[in-house]
Amino acid sequence: MTFSANTDSELRQRIIYFIVVGFICLFSIQLFNMQIFKNEIYNEKSAENSIKGIVQIPLRGVFYDRNYKLLVANKPSFTLLVTPSHYDRKLDKLIENVLGVEPGFIGKILSKNSIYSKYIPIRIQRDVDFKVIAWVEENSEKLPGVSYTVELERAYQDSIKGSHLFGYIKEVGKKQLDEDNYYDMGDFIGYTGIEKTYEKYLRGQKGMKYILVDSKRKEIGRFNGGADDKNSIKGDDLVLTIDEDLQRIAENGFEGKSGALVAIEPKTGEILAFVSAPQYNLNDFTTVTSKDIWSELNNDPSKPLFNRATQSINPPGSTIKIMEAIAALEEGIITPQTTFYCGGGFYFGRFFKCHGGNHGSLNVVHAIEHSCNSFFYQLILKMGLEKWNEYGRKFGFGQKTGIDLSEEKAGILPSAEYYDKRYGKNGWTKGFIVSLGIGQGELSVTPLQLANYVSLVANNGRSFTPHLVKGYLDDNKKLVPFKFPEVDTKISQKTMDIVKEGMFLVVNGSGTATSVRLPDVHVAGKTGTAQNPHGKDHAWFMGFAPYEDPKIAVAAFVENAGFGATWAAPIAKAVIQEYMKKLKISQKNNIQQSEENVISASLKN
Amino acid sequence: MLFQRRSRIDYQFEDRFDILLVGSVFLLVVLGLMAIYSSTLNHPTAGGNFQKQLFSAIISFVVFLIIYFSPQRVINLLPVPSYLFSLIFLVAVLFIGRRVYGSKSWMDFGSIGFQPSEFAKIGLIFLLSYFLSRDKTNIESFKDILIALVISTIPILLILLEPDVGTTFVFVVIVLMLLFWKGISLFKLFIVLSPPVVVLAYMFGTVSFIIALLLVALALFYFKKNLFFSASIFVINLSAGFFFQYVFNILSPHQQKRILTFIDPNMDPLGSGYNAIQAKVAIGSGGFLGKGFMAGHQTQLRFIPEQWTDFIYCVIGEEFGFIGSIITLSLFLVVFLRLLKISSLVKDKNEFHSLVIIGILTLLFFHFIVNVGMTIGIMPVIGLPLPFLSYGGSSLLADMFLIGVAANIYKNRKQYA
Repeated sequence: MTFSANTDSELRQRIIYFIVVGFICLFSIQLFNMQIFKNEIYNEKSAENSIKGIVQIPLRGVFYDRNYKLLVANKPSFTLLVTPSHYDRKLDKLIENVLGVEPGFIGKILSKNSIYSKYIPIRIQRDVDFKVIAWVEENSEKLPGVSYTVELERAYQDSIKGSHLFGYIKEVGKKQLDEDNYYDMGDFIGYTGIEKTYEKYLRGQKGMKYILVDSKRKEIGRFNGGADDKNSIKGDDLVLTIDEDLQRIAENGFEGKSGALVAIEPKTGEILAFVSAPQYNLNDFTTVTSKDIWSELNNDPSKPLFNRATQSINPPGSTIKIMEAIAALEEGIITPQTTFYCGGGFYFGRFFKCHGGNHGSLNVVHAIEHSCNSFFYQLILKMGLEKWNEYGRKFGFGQKTGIDLSEEKAGILPSAEYYDKRYGKNGWTKGFIVSLGIGQGELSVTPLQLANYVSLVANNGRSFTPHLVKGYLDDNKKLVPFKFPEVDTKISQKTMDIVKEGMFLVVNGSGTATSVRLPDVHVAGKTGTAQNPHGKDHAWFMGFAPYEDPKIAVAAFVENAGFGATWAAPIAKAVIQEYMKKLKISQKNNIQQSEENVISASLKN
Repeated sequence: MLFQRRSRIDYQFEDRFDILLVGSVFLLVVLGLMAIYSSTLNHPTAGGNFQKQLFSAIISFVVFLIIYFSPQRVINLLPVPSYLFSLIFLVAVLFIGRRVYGSKSWMDFGSIGFQPSEFAKIGLIFLLSYFLSRDKTNIESFKDILIALVISTIPILLILLEPDVGTTFVFVVIVLMLLFWKGISLFKLFIVLSPPVVVLAYMFGTVSFIIALLLVALALFYFKKNLFFSASIFVINLSAGFFFQYVFNILSPHQQKRILTFIDPNMDPLGSGYNAIQAKVAIGSGGFLGKGFMAGHQTQLRFIPEQWTDFIYCVIGEEFGFIGSIITLSLFLVVFLRLLKISSLVKDKNEFHSLVIIGILTLLFFHFIVNVGMTIGIMPVIGLPLPFLSYGGSSLLADMFLIGVAANIYKNRKQYA
C-alpha cells in the first residue's frame, strides 16, 4: 500500500517535472525561432518602427526667358497639418473659423485620409496665411496634433501670364501614383504646358532624411548621425525660347479677345512668344485648386483652359495660298509669268466669289498681293488634290508639329482618302476642292501650325521643329541645349523668292495688309479669314520680318473678329515692331562695342 | 556547550541553505533590476522606478532573511490568519481601492501602494494546503473536495469583482495543482478541471466549444460512471461556457479586449494586440547576442508601453539576445526544479509543507509561462508580472516571502519526526 502510494506520488512528481521542462523547452524553441531563425525579419520590423524616413522634396526647377529673365520661380508657403492620433476633433470648429472655411471642412479631409496611419500628419490646407501660422505657434499647447510645415509653391511674374505656355502643376492623382513610383500622395506634378513636358527635368531628385522616432512617432534624433541621409537634388532650371517683352506685348494685344499668337525665330524654330487667349490665372493653381475655381474655369463659355494656340483648329483662309503658289511653281504647273483671269469670281458648278471686285489677269505674285480667289480656284483645279495635299504635308498641316507641349491637335488636311471616308467614294465633287483653294472647307489648322508654316517660308523652306525650351542650366549655370529635329521642305530658292515677293507686296504694295507696314523695316505677310458658320469670321494674319533676312515669323488668330488685316495683323505688327526695336538696340550695342574696341585699340597704338 | 549543540545539528552550509534556489532567485532579481534600469532611465514619468524597485528588492531580501531564520512554528501558524487577513483586504480593496487600468486592485497606505491579491495568493496556498494535509481530510470524499473548493472560491470571486482576470486564472491553477499533488483521483481531477478547460475552449469560438464538450462526453463515457451523474457533470460543463459569457459581459472593456486579442493579436494592432506584436519584434530583433545593455531600439524608444512591468522579458530578449533569454529561462528552470525537489523531499514527512511548496511552485510557474509565453507570442496577453523581474513591490515582496518559506522548509527538513 505504501509502495503504491509512493509510485502514485512519484508519478505526479514526474508529471509536474515534465510540464515544467516541457514549457521551458517550448519557450527555448520559440526563442530560437524568433531570435536566430527569424531574426532578420524582426530586425527589419524593429528598424521600420524606429527609423522614419522623411522625404525631402527638392526645389522645382525655375523658368528663365531667352534673356535669362526669371519667369517662373518658387516661393515658400505654409501648410497646416493635423496628426489624427494627437488631434482633438473638438478643435474642428475653432480651426475652421480661423481658416475661414465652411464647417465640416476638417472632418471631410480627415475621413478621406482615415485609411492612413493616424500617426501621419495630414495636410489640411496649403498656402495658409502667416497670421494663422503665428496663431498656431502661440497656442500650440492648446492645439494638440496641429502643426504646420513649409512647402514651396510656384511664383509667377505679374508682367506676363503665360498660362498655356508654362502650364500648371497639380497634386498627383491616382493614375500617376500607379504609373510612376517616384510620386507619393500630396506630391505636385506638372499637369499641362512646359511643366508637364519637362516634368522629369523640373522635379529633381527627392532626398531622404532618416530620423529616430519613439513609439509616439516623435523625433528623438538623427539616425546614424545622418550618415545614411540622401540630400534632395534641385530640379533643372529651364531656359525658355520665349522673350518676356514680346510675350507681354502679345498678351496685351489679346486683352478682351479670344485667339492665339505664336512668334517663331525662323532660323532655329525657337518660339519667341506664345499666347492663347483668354488666359487663366496660374496663381489659382499654386496650391490645391478649389472646386469653385475648377468649375468656374470649366464652365466659362470662353474656355480659358483650352490652349487655342495648339488645340483650336480652323480653316486658314487665304494664308494657305502661299503653300499653293509654292506647290504650283515647284511642280511646274505655272511659271511666274503664268496668268489667270479674274472677273470677280469663278464659275465651277456654282459661282465662287472673289473679293474686291474684278482683278483682271494677274500672275502669281500679284495674285498673292491681292489675295485673288479666282486665281487660286483655277490653280488648285489645275494642280489636283494630290499635289496640294503633298505640299500641305510638307509645310506641316494635318499633323502635329511636335512642339514640346503635350496638348496639340493635328488639324485636318483633306485628301482623296479623307473625302472618300467622309462622304463616300462618289459622294464628293471637285467643287469641294475649289473651296480648299482659298483655305476654306474641311481644311483646319492650328495657329501653331500656321506659325510653323510662315516660319518655314521665311527661312526658305528649312527650319527646326518649333519649341519653347532652349535647354537646361547645368550645375555651373551653363546652358545645356536640347536638340530638336530639323525640318527641310526642299523647296527651291527661286520659288521661295517669288512667293516671298508676293508676301512683301501684301504689306508694302497695294495688298491686303498695308496697315502692317513699318517705317524702317520691311515686313512681309498674308492675311486670312476663316469662314465661321457659327458666327463672325475668324481673322488670321501671318508674316515675317525683316523681309531681307527674317528674324521673326508670326501667326496671329483672332476669333469672331472678321477681316484678318483689321484684327489679327495689328497684334502681330506690335510684336514684330517690338522685336525689331530690340534687335536694333542690341545691334547698336554690338556696333558701339566694336567701335569702342576700335577706339581703345587705336588709343593703344 | 554551545559548540556541542551546534555540532549536533552540524549540517553542511548547502544542507541548510538551498544555494541553487536562492542563488538563481538572486540572479533573476538582479537581471530584473538591470532591465528596469534600462527601460526606465530615460523615461519621462518612470525615471525613478529603478530606485523604487531597488528599495523593494532590499526590503524583500530582508523579509526573505526573516522568514528563512524564523522557527518553523511561525510557518505552521500562518494558514488561518493569512487567509482571513487576505479576505479582509480583498473586501476592503473593493471599497477603498484605487483603480488601475480598469481594475480596482490597488490599496494605498500613504505613498505605498500594494495589491491585496498578491497576498491573497499566499493566504490561499497556506489555508488550502493546511486543510488538505489534515489527517481527517479525505481527498476522495466529496464533502472535503467541496470544502476545498469553497475555500478557493471566496477569494476567486472577490478578485473577479475587481475585476482581475489574470489573477483569477492563477488561483484556479493553484487550486487544481494542490488537489493534484494531494492525490486526487483522475476522475475527480477531471471533474474539477473540465469546466475551466471548456471555458477556455469557449473563448475560441463555438466550434472549439463544441469539440471540448464532445471530449468531455467522451471522457465521461470512458470513466463509466452512472448516467445521471455523468449527465450532471456534462450539464455543469455546458453551463460553464454560458457562465463565462455572463462573466465576460460584466468584465471591463479592456479585459474583454485582452481576451479577444488572445485569439488574434493582429485584430487590434494599436491596442493590446499592438503590445503583443511589439514585444515579439523586440525579442526577435535581439538576435543571438542582443543589441547590448541600454541599446535596444524597441526598449529605448518605448515601443512597448510600461515595458518594465509585464513586458520586462522583452528588455532582456532585445538587449541580451538569445543568450540572455536562455540564461533567464535556465535560472527559472533551476528555481522550479528545486521547488519540486524540496516538495518531494518533505512530502512523506510533512504534507502541509510539501503542499505549500507545490503551491509556491505553481504560483511562480503559472506567472512565468503566462508572462513569457505572452511576450514570445504563444500565450494570450494577460497582465501577469514575471516573478522576480517585473517592476512592482507587492509582487516581489510576495515572491521573496514565498522563497523564504521554501528555504525555511528546506533548512528544517531534517527536523521532522
